[in-house]
Amino acid sequence: MNYAKFFELAKARGISASELYSSRKYSLSFELFHSEVSSYTTSESFAMSARGIYNDKFGVAITEKVDKRTPEHLVDEIIANAKVIEKDDKALLFKGSEKYHKRNMFNKEIEAISIEQKMKNLYEIEAKLKKSDPRVVEIETVQYSEEASEVNLVNSYGLNLKSRSNYYVYVASVVAKQGEEVKTGFKILLSNDPKELDIDKFVKETVEDATRKLGGSQCKSKKYPIILNQKSAADFLDPFLESASAEEVQKRSSLFIGKLDQPVASKKITISESPLTKNCFFRYFDDEGVATSNKKIVEKGLLKTYLYNLETAQREGTTTTGNGYKEGSKIGIGFVNASIKPGRKSEAELIAKIKEGVYISSVNGLHAGLNSQSGNFSLQAEGFMIRDGKIAEPLSLITVAGNLLELFLDVREVANNPELQLSGISTPSLLIKRLAISGK
Amino acid sequence: MIGKSLAKDVLNAGLATGADFAEIYLEQSEVSFLMLENGKVESALSSTSYGAGIRLLNKLQSVYGYTNDLSRKGLIKLAESLAKSYSGSRLMTIENIRKVAIKNAHAYEGPLSAVSREEKIALLKEAHQVMSAYDKRIVRIQNAFSNYRKNVTIFNSDGKQFDDVKERGRMVFAAIASENGKIETGFEGPGATSGMEFFTTKIDVKETARKVAELAIKMLTASECPSGKMPVVIGNAFGGVVFHEACGHSLEATSVAKKLSVFSESLGKQIASPIVTAIDDGTIPNAWGSNNIDDEGNKTQRNVLIKDGICTSFLIDAFNGRRMGMKANGACRRESYKYEPTSRMSNTFIASGTSTPEEIISSTKLGLYAASMGGGSVNPATGEFNFACSEAYIIRDGKIAEPVRGATLIGSGADILMKIDMVANDLERAQGMCGSSSGNIPADVGQPTIRVSEILVGGRGGALK
Repeated sequence: MNYAKFFELAKARGISASELYSSRKYSLSFELFHSEVSSYTTSESFAMSARGIYNDKFGVAITEKVDKRTPEHLVDEIIANAKVIEKDDKALLFKGSEKYHKRNMFNKEIEAISIEQKMKNLYEIEAKLKKSDPRVVEIETVQYSEEASEVNLVNSYGLNLKSRSNYYVYVASVVAKQGEEVKTGFKILLSNDPKELDIDKFVKETVEDATRKLGGSQCKSKKYPIILNQKSAADFLDPFLESASAEEVQKRSSLFIGKLDQPVASKKITISESPLTKNCFFRYFDDEGVATSNKKIVEKGLLKTYLYNLETAQREGTTTTGNGYKEGSKIGIGFVNASIKPGRKSEAELIAKIKEGVYISSVNGLHAGLNSQSGNFSLQAEGFMIRDGKIAEPLSLITVAGNLLELFLDVREVANNPELQLSGISTPSLLIKRLAISGK
Repeated sequence: MIGKSLAKDVLNAGLATGADFAEIYLEQSEVSFLMLENGKVESALSSTSYGAGIRLLNKLQSVYGYTNDLSRKGLIKLAESLAKSYSGSRLMTIENIRKVAIKNAHAYEGPLSAVSREEKIALLKEAHQVMSAYDKRIVRIQNAFSNYRKNVTIFNSDGKQFDDVKERGRMVFAAIASENGKIETGFEGPGATSGMEFFTTKIDVKETARKVAELAIKMLTASECPSGKMPVVIGNAFGGVVFHEACGHSLEATSVAKKLSVFSESLGKQIASPIVTAIDDGTIPNAWGSNNIDDEGNKTQRNVLIKDGICTSFLIDAFNGRRMGMKANGACRRESYKYEPTSRMSNTFIASGTSTPEEIISSTKLGLYAASMGGGSVNPATGEFNFACSEAYIIRDGKIAEPVRGATLIGSGADILMKIDMVANDLERAQGMCGSSSGNIPADVGQPTIRVSEILVGGRGGALK
C-alpha cells in the first residue's frame, strides 16, 4: 500500500494525526495420523490496521484487501467511525520514546531446517509414542507448525518501528486406556530455538500426561491444602493480573482498586513483567509504539504499579507503562512475559509438608468458570491426592473452587521450578493454604 | 472475486500431482462493530477480511493453504506449492465450471450493512437506559452491536461454482453489579441471520436489558453454591450448551472419523435416555447458526442425531466422510478462509418432551436449578465436560428457593445423556459462538427444561443441606 498517499489524504480530510499498523504472517503446519500426513497447511496473510484522530476522537478501520482504493477507503471509514465516538478522552497517538531496546529475535535456524527433517521428527515422535506404553491405544495427533511475522508501525509524527519474530510448535496427543477407562494426555512445545526439541523427553511427557491419570477417582468433598503445579498456577496468574489493568481499575471492575502499596498476595509472591526477556514473546514496543520495560507489578505481596496505556495514563495524569496492546478494535492493556519469582524449595519439599492434600495438575473451563472481575472460580480439575507428604492416587472429575485474591493471599510457599507456558507466563509450583475441592 | 477461467486454471494447477479433489474458497467480509460503555459510544470499527483458501484432497490426506493475494500469480503460486505435497500424476482436468443456483432461505427486509451507525447506536442506548435505571448497584454496562456481510464463492473440481451471501447481526447486553466488594455479572447476546427487523420487532430490547440487569443484581445477594452430586434441573434455551459441549462435539465427524470420540461406534445404539431426541438443523429460517449451503457447497439440512435415545446420525463433512464411508450431510463449516473446514454444529437442540417445567421443579425434592448457563468445554475423547452456571437456585421440596452463585457442572457426556429423566415442552434456542479446529462460528444451542438425575456440582458453599 502507498503509505504516503494515505497520510496525505488523511491530513487533507481533516484527520489531525494518523497511524498505520501492518502485519504480515507466514505459517506452515502439518499433522500425522496413523503414520500418514493427514493435513498440511501453508499460509501468507496480511492485515492493515489504520487509526486516525478526527475532532479529537479515534476512528479505526482494518482491511486485508489492498488495492488502489485502500487509502481512500481507510480514510472514509476512520472519519465515519470517529464521528460517532462519544468518549470524553482526547484521542492520542504517540510521538516516540527516547530509547528503544531493539533486538532481533528472528531465528533463521527455524527456516533453515528442511521440511523433510521436520517431518522426520514427527514420524520419530509417533513411532516412539507407539512403543512407549501398552496402555497407549491411540495417537490422536502429532503436529508441527511454525509462524513468522513482521510488524510495522508508522505514524504521521514520523514514528516508524519494525519487528520480526518467529516460533515453532510441536504438539502430540495420545489416548490411554485401562479396562473401560479412557484418558487423554498431550504435550505442547513452543519455542524459537530448534535446539529445545528433545524428542525422548517430549514423548515421555506426552505419555505420562495420559497414563498417570488412569485409575483416577473422586476424593471426598472438602477443603484441602493444595499444590498448584506450574501450568495451573500460570492459568490462575493470567486472570489475576487482569486486575492490574488501569482500565479495569478505572472502570471499577478490578480486584486491585485502591490497593496500590497494599497487600494483594502473600509476602512470598513477587510478580514481574519482563517483555525484554529474550524468548519468542519478546516485545520492545507495545501496540501504541511505546518502548516496553521490565518491571515489578507485585513485590513481596504488595501491589507496586497498575499497568497503563496512553489513554488510561492520560486519565490519571500519569505516564504509560508501555502496556497498550490491541484487543480487537481498541488498544487495551496487556502484559508480556509475566512471571512469579521462584523460591528456594523444590516441589517435592512442598509436597512433603502436606499430610492430606490435593496436587492440581490442570484446570479446565477457565473462560466460563472463572470470573476475573469478581475473582470467583469453580473449575474442573485433575490431579492427585497427596498423602503423608507423597503423591498418591490420581483424581479426575473433581472441581476446585475459590477466589483469586484469596488464593494468592493464601500462598504459603513458592517452589524453585519455574516453567514457561504457552501463554508466555512463567511460574513455579505454589503451595496454597487451602481450597474447596468437590468430588464424591 | 475471481472469474471462472482463473478458477479453472488454479484448480488444474492444484490437481497436477494426483489430488482427487480441489477446491477454492473465496471470501470478502465487511464487519461492523459498535460498542457503548456506560451509555457512551466508546468503540466503532469497520473491518474487511479478504482472501482465498485452497484445499487439495488425496484419499485420506488433505493439504490446505490461504492467502490474501487473489491475483492470478498469487493463486497459481499457492496451488502449485500445495500440489508439491503429493507426488502422483494428474487424475483429472477441469474443462467446465457450472454455477449452482442457491435459493436464499433466510430472507430479510434490508441488509444490516445498509443500516446507519446512528440507528444501531439509538437501539443500544435504549438498552443502556433500561439497564442503568434498574439499580444503583449496576456499576458498568456494555452494549454492543456487531454485524457482517460475508460474500463467499466456492469453486471445486466437480466443476461447480457456489455463490452465497451471509448477513448476520448480534447485540450484546452486559451488566456488572457491585456491592461490598462482591461483583456479579449478567449477559445476553441475541443474534440472527437477518436484517434489522430481528432487533426491532423479533426481540424485545428493553425486556432483554431489564433481565440482564435483574440477573446481575439477583446474583449479588446469592450465597455460594453447595457442592457434591445432586439432581440438576437445567433451564431451557442456553441450557442447551450442556448438550452442545458434552454430546454435540462428540458427534462431529472431526472426532468420530478417526475413532477419537466416545460415540465413534455408537450408530444405531442407545446413547441417551429414551426420552431424548436431539437435532442439528442448519436450515431453520433466519436462525443464527443457519446457512443456505455449508462451507464446501453442500445444502444445509436437518440431521436427527439422536432419536428416542438411539444414535441415528453424525455431523459429516466430505473429507471425514471418506474415512467413515459415509456421505456429507451439510455440516462442513469454517470461520473464514483462514481455516480448513470440517464438520461442525449449526443449530443444535434437544427436542421438546411431554412434561411441563413446573412438573419438573415440583417433582424435585432437593437439588439445583441451573436456570441459565455460562460457557463450558469438553474433551471429545473422554466426553468430560465442565460448565459454569450464570443463574442458579436451590430447589427445596419442589419449589425454587434461594439463588446461589459460583456453580459449576462437571461430568461426562455419555453418562449425563443416560441420566436425563425428565424433558419439558418449552424448547427455546439461544445464540453462541462455538470454537473448534475450524475457528469460531455462530451456532445456536437449545433445549426445553430438562432434569438430570445426578450431576457433580462444584461450588464453595459446602455440602447441600
